[in-house]
Order: sequence, then structure tokens, then C-alpha cells
Amino acid sequence: MKHDALVIGGSAGSFRAIIHLLEILAIDLSIPVFLCLHRLKQARKGFEETLANIASLPLMEPFDKEKIKPGIIYLAPANYHMLIENKRTIALSTEDPIQYSRPSIDICFASAAEIYKQRLLAILLSGANQDGTGGIAAVNRHGGYTLVQDPTDCEITTMCESAIKLTIPNQILTIPEIIEFVSLL
Amino acid sequence: MELENQEIQTFVNTVRSLSDYDFTEYSDKSLKRRLMKILHDYHLTTESLLIKISENPEFLERIVKDITVNTTELFRDPAIWHSLRYDILPDFEDLSTLNIWHAGCSTGQEVFSMMILLNEMGLLERSDIYATDINSDVLEAARKGVYRYRFNVGYLNNFDAVIKENPRDHNIYHNVPYSKYFVVDKVRDNIRMKDYLLNKPVYEKMDLVTDHNPFDRVFDLVICRNVIIYFNYELQNKVFKLFLDNMNQGSVLVLGVHETILGPYAAYFKKKFQAYYKK
Repeated sequence: MKHDALVIGGSAGSFRAIIHLLEILAIDLSIPVFLCLHRLKQARKGFEETLANIASLPLMEPFDKEKIKPGIIYLAPANYHMLIENKRTIALSTEDPIQYSRPSIDICFASAAEIYKQRLLAILLSGANQDGTGGIAAVNRHGGYTLVQDPTDCEITTMCESAIKLTIPNQILTIPEIIEFVSLL
Repeated sequence: MELENQEIQTFVNTVRSLSDYDFTEYSDKSLKRRLMKILHDYHLTTESLLIKISENPEFLERIVKDITVNTTELFRDPAIWHSLRYDILPDFEDLSTLNIWHAGCSTGQEVFSMMILLNEMGLLERSDIYATDINSDVLEAARKGVYRYRFNVGYLNNFDAVIKENPRDHNIYHNVPYSKYFVVDKVRDNIRMKDYLLNKPVYEKMDLVTDHNPFDRVFDLVICRNVIIYFNYELQNKVFKLFLDNMNQGSVLVLGVHETILGPYAAYFKKKFQAYYKK
């Protein structure tokens, strides 16, 4: 295993891709997965349950200071930032939204990059704002591996276009290609 | 911009040597993010920040205020307010006085939310409301009770969800006008709480890390939401001990939706309805 953790960020237009990815994650995956998705503030329980029903691995919204375990998918709770505090612990924050986003993909990715460094795999999917660009840049800076969805393959291109314009991701892939990559983890 | 852990440590030590504030056991990531924001906003380096706080006590006070996170809303997370209304508070209806402490009350939105709910339940007159925060600026804002309207339209949706609607019985609708509690002034772009709500609470500056309970009271309800997420595990335990020592038996601690008691103090509480009951 080349990676110690996987972070996935997505916003508008990423839902179908997320479903595919969660379905095909290996059931014996030995690393934690952090999922940071923009969503409506009030849409809460239904969303978590829907994803949990689909995912091949247990999926949960973590409590603050939740212990990180391998093979678990941690979904950033609505209206909170999710940070990786250290290799054992998740931290939540109610700091102001960044790029109009809480949870912020930039915060989640950057905090994971600092902890897992070159052992982090980050995937950025379709979205309608520029959140995620700073996150991909942070993962690159710490030597992690970054995949950005090909904008021509995105339902909404803004987020991935921004990331590609301002950073150099390791690979720019379509959803089928990202799925193939992830299924080999 | 990157900040080395050593620089953060030096900052914490400097603040501690200059004042009573102690950020030693604050959550690392959050403290680092706040410090980076401060350096960026004031165009300072770590070195120049340290010099400036050493030379200027008022600037130190301002930095301490900037470190703390003050985001809050009226009726944030309607589900917990439903639980307070239908599950938790009815058990306290027989008390002659209901003592309530908002620990880390920030700019006061939760204090007003609580008073509005208590009033709808006929409990406000019997309640004594105490509220504390480390930051004297936010306490001043709480005393004024004026909030921006444009960025906070969600307040009204939350009010509707908690005060007007009843998720347990959709046939019930309480037609409570906003004007009973606050004035919405779209021209001046503000939401202004009514005077009788402004005059009720007792506000006091308090640092949960270093200070004792400043009130001569033991509490029936302690509200501390999205405060301990900025503390590390050890400090969270200290704060739970502080609460426990100042709560009546059977009283209730309400934390943020994604906060929980992890350490040894979990044994002293029983979790029910998203709240912690002191055993």
C-alpha cells in the first residue's frame, strides 16, 4: 500500500461519482477515508444514511476527537470543518466558512496533507466553486498524490478547472479512470 | 505560509508569561489555523507578533480575542432545540428556579434562543440565565443583541422550525410573530432583540481553562456548544470536571451535535436525548 489515507472532495455534480467510488472501495481497505462534500445545511441525517447504505465500508459522521480507524469512511458533518488533527484523531471546527464552504475541502485536504505527507492520496471531483484548489496545492506541496476529475467529464466544471489552472495534479482522470484507480487500492 | 510547531509553542509560552491566558491545551490544528489568520490579517511575522504583544497589553488582549472562534446562530441545529422543548425541559417545569449557564456564549444567539424557548414554555420568569465567554467583545455584542439581517436570514428559518413548527405533530402550528422577540429591520439590515430579553441574562467574562464558576449558583442546565472542540482531550476533561462540580444531580449538559464526552468523566453522565444527565 502506497497510501496511509484517502481524502475525497466534491461539490455540485459529484454525487453520482461519489456513489460509484463508495461502492467499489475494497472491503478490506486498510486505510481511513475522509469524505468532504458540500451540501445543504439542513439536509442532514438522510444524506449520511444514503451514503452509508451504498458504501462498501462503514461510513460515519465523526464526533470531535473521534479516533481514526482503518477501513472507515468519515463524512465531514454539515456545517462543520473536518480536520485531521494527528494520525489518531479527527477534529471539528465551526470557524467561518472558507470560499463560502463549511465543510471546506481546502481545510480538510491541507490538514490531512500535513499529517500523512507523501502517504496521502487526494481526489477532487466536480463542483461549482473554487474550494479544493488550495487543498490540492497543499497535498502536492507535502508530496502526496493528487487526482483531479477531468473537467470535460464533470457535471459542473468550475472546481476542477480551478485546481488544474492553479496547481499541477499528478493525474487528470475521468470518473471511470478514477474508479479503476481506487478499485486497485 | 507555514507555521512551525516550535513557533506556536513560543507564542503560547509568551502569552502565558504575559497574562492569565493559557492556550497550552488548545487543539493544535485549530490554534495553528487561527495564528496563521492573525499573522495574515495584521501583516505580521511570528517574531513581530511576539514583540508587539510583549510591548502592548491591549494588542495582546485583541489577539486573545482573535484566537477564539465566535461563530454561532439563533437556534443552531433545530433538532437539539426540539429535544430541549419536548424531551428535556418538561422535566424541569416543577423547579421553583431554573438555573441556566451558557458557557462560551459568544455573541449571545444561543442565550436568546433559550430565553425565547423558555418563554414559549412559560418558564422564562422562573429561570435565571447566566452566560460567560473569554472574550469581552462578544459579551458586549450579546448585551446589545443586534445582529446583521442579510447574512443571517437562516435565523428566521431556524426560529420557524423550532418555535412555530412541531416536528412531532405536523398538525400543530404556533403562529408566533417574530416581533414578540425581536425586530427585523431590513432597511438598517439588522435583527434587534427586545429589551426584556436584553435585561434578563447576567453576563460575566470567564476563561473556562483558568477561572472558577463566577456565579454563586449550581446549575440545572449547562449549555456549552462548539466550544470544547477547540480544546485537546486533557483540557476537555478539565472543563467537564468544572461543569460536573457546578451541576445539580439530575441536571443536564448540552454539547454541540458532534461533541461528546470521551474521557473518564463520561462515567458521571448518562446520555439521553442528545444531552448528558449528571448521575
